[in-house]
Amino acid sequence: MGISSQSARPDPGTLAAAAAAVLMGAALALIFFYVPTDVDQGYSQRIFYFHVPIAMTTYVLFAWSAVNAVRYLLSRDRSLDMKSYVPMHLGVIFGSLTLVTGAVWAKASWGVWWYWGSTQLNTFLIIFLFYCAYFMLRFSVEDGEKRATYSAVYALLGVGLIPVSVLAVRVSQELIHPITFNRNGANMDGSMFLTFLVSLAAMLALAVSMYFVEMRGKRLDERVRRIRRLAEAAR
Amino acid sequence: MSSSEAVRCSGLVRRFGERDALAGLDLVVADGEVVLLTGPNGAGKTTLLRVLATVLRPSEGSASLYGHELPRQAGPARRLVGYAGHEPLLYPLLTAAENLRLYSALHGSDGAEVEPALERVGMARRAADRVEELSRGMRQRLSLARAMLHEPRLLLLDEPTSGLDDEGRGVLRALLEQSGRTAVIATHEPGWFTGVAGRAVAIDRGRVAV
Amino acid sequence: MVALVRKDLLLELRSREVVPAMATFVLASFVLFRFALGGDRLGGGVRAATGLLWVAVVFTAMLGLSRAFASEREHRIWDGLLSTPVDRSALWLAKACSTFVFLVVMQAVALPLFWLFFLQEGHPPSIPVLVAALLLADAGIASLGAMLAGLASASHAREVLLPVLFLPFAVPLVLVGVQVTVATISPQTRAMDTLERLGFLGLYATIFALLGWALFEYVVED
Repeated sequence: MGISSQSARPDPGTLAAAAAAVLMGAALALIFFYVPTDVDQGYSQRIFYFHVPIAMTTYVLFAWSAVNAVRYLLSRDRSLDMKSYVPMHLGVIFGSLTLVTGAVWAKASWGVWWYWGSTQLNTFLIIFLFYCAYFMLRFSVEDGEKRATYSAVYALLGVGLIPVSVLAVRVSQELIHPITFNRNGANMDGSMFLTFLVSLAAMLALAVSMYFVEMRGKRLDERVRRIRRLAEAAR
Repeated sequence: MSSSEAVRCSGLVRRFGERDALAGLDLVVADGEVVLLTGPNGAGKTTLLRVLATVLRPSEGSASLYGHELPRQAGPARRLVGYAGHEPLLYPLLTAAENLRLYSALHGSDGAEVEPALERVGMARRAADRVEELSRGMRQRLSLARAMLHEPRLLLLDEPTSGLDDEGRGVLRALLEQSGRTAVIATHEPGWFTGVAGRAVAIDRGRVAV
Repeated sequence: MVALVRKDLLLELRSREVVPAMATFVLASFVLFRFALGGDRLGGGVRAATGLLWVAVVFTAMLGLSRAFASEREHRIWDGLLSTPVDRSALWLAKACSTFVFLVVMQAVALPLFWLFFLQEGHPPSIPVLVAALLLADAGIASLGAMLAGLASASHAREVLLPVLFLPFAVPLVLVGVQVTVATISPQTRAMDTLERLGFLGLYATIFALLGWALFEYVVED
């Protein structure tokens, strides 16, 4: 295996980073200059355009990780373990951002730092706990096939956790829960919807470019390790 | 690759983290052969036996038992193999008979062969004693009985003579002298096996030593 | 598979390690909770106590689960079991069943104690509903727990790792368990709601049983 040559096609990581930069710029412009101020919640409502896309990206990352987990278990291809782990790792980062933006929004809108009655927020908290546990598992097992397999298994258990969490929160509500805010697309007017979509695309692109950056780093690590192992064996 | 070959390993690699316990091992054992594995501690003998017992999966390379490729066809291979490892692999709080009955059930059988197996290794009198009460030699004998319970075609024994008492050694020799018995035995006492073993293969650092 | 369950029960009977420890732990928890909530008058009322019951159940279960595969690990017995043609999923199922039995035994001890410590004053929740909820929850905990105990045994810090792995999954369980129990205190709760919540607990058990069945072979294969 020689040094990988740069082909004529541009590196997908660079493309993603470029797309992310453009989209981010566009999203920020739209969020701060284009979209009209919300009548009910005021200027701080703009956090919504960060919070929800980041939250959705977190879920997408988790799904991506789970899909690769299944593929890993079926094929035992170690590169898939990396491809399952990195989205999970990014998911923790985006998840923390979701919680932070969610808290800021909650404080600004309702005056409390957390809203325990919300289905989405509570479900998210449970999923975030799961992310952290995934990392504890990963750090506790030595590198190798076992760690990859166990991570994949736990990731798939997490897939079971998502519908379970959503249902649990819904089923345990005492009152008919008043949805006091509309955040679903159906209730947004044109300009808000556009801003939302652009922001979502920006967050996804950001996640993808971070994915490539991290993957590249991990591949380098792996290559160094392999070289070291060959050197040891040759001795 | 015909099924008259008990074992065929080709370029077998088994990795634990950064360490290669088996580093490209080739071995062929014909049906009916008794082959000894010799070599220093840590050479990879136990790892090889565990891979052949389908307890460990190969990291690279290939291994097959009677034509069954591991790990894909490990299921059918398991019926043909009897493994007695370093440790007796018995529950100390259960009696000798209970342990064997458990393994009998795991092999899909009803337990009829437990008594004769205990007889064969001379443990019939101690059948109702808990394993923790048995001496080392008796536990080794019981472990042998467990490995033989389902009449396997291939025996994989890891240091079977260590800790084995005289009565047990007699049992082991009788077992191996039975015609048609195929076995791969890791041992530090190759001399004891003369007359029973066909050849010895030296293992060093995860490979067959030349 | 029956043989495997019998083996686990026999082992427990002889070693008397797990169940007495769990029972003692539950008793100690209740004493602690009782004093924490207020020695004389029950501060927070029956509601808080019920919540604590469920928390105690979960923690006790984790205590029991940390020993789930201990005997197999201690004597390298896995090698013996894995070299037989037994279905890997059967190993999981047997462990889940024996765990279920231990949990039920533990709760049979815990419930009377709970009644004694916390339900002497105020309006009590419906006991049949509580029992049903606990049984269903036990099935879920046993299924998932057998899986996670297997995962945790790979690490040296397994006693600490198991609770960490388990707690995210315990949250929905406790959430609904407490809700279904506490709601029965108020006469306004509709039977439909209670059934729905019990149904959720059943669903929880089913989902994780299926996942456990499918995935255990990956946990155990080396």
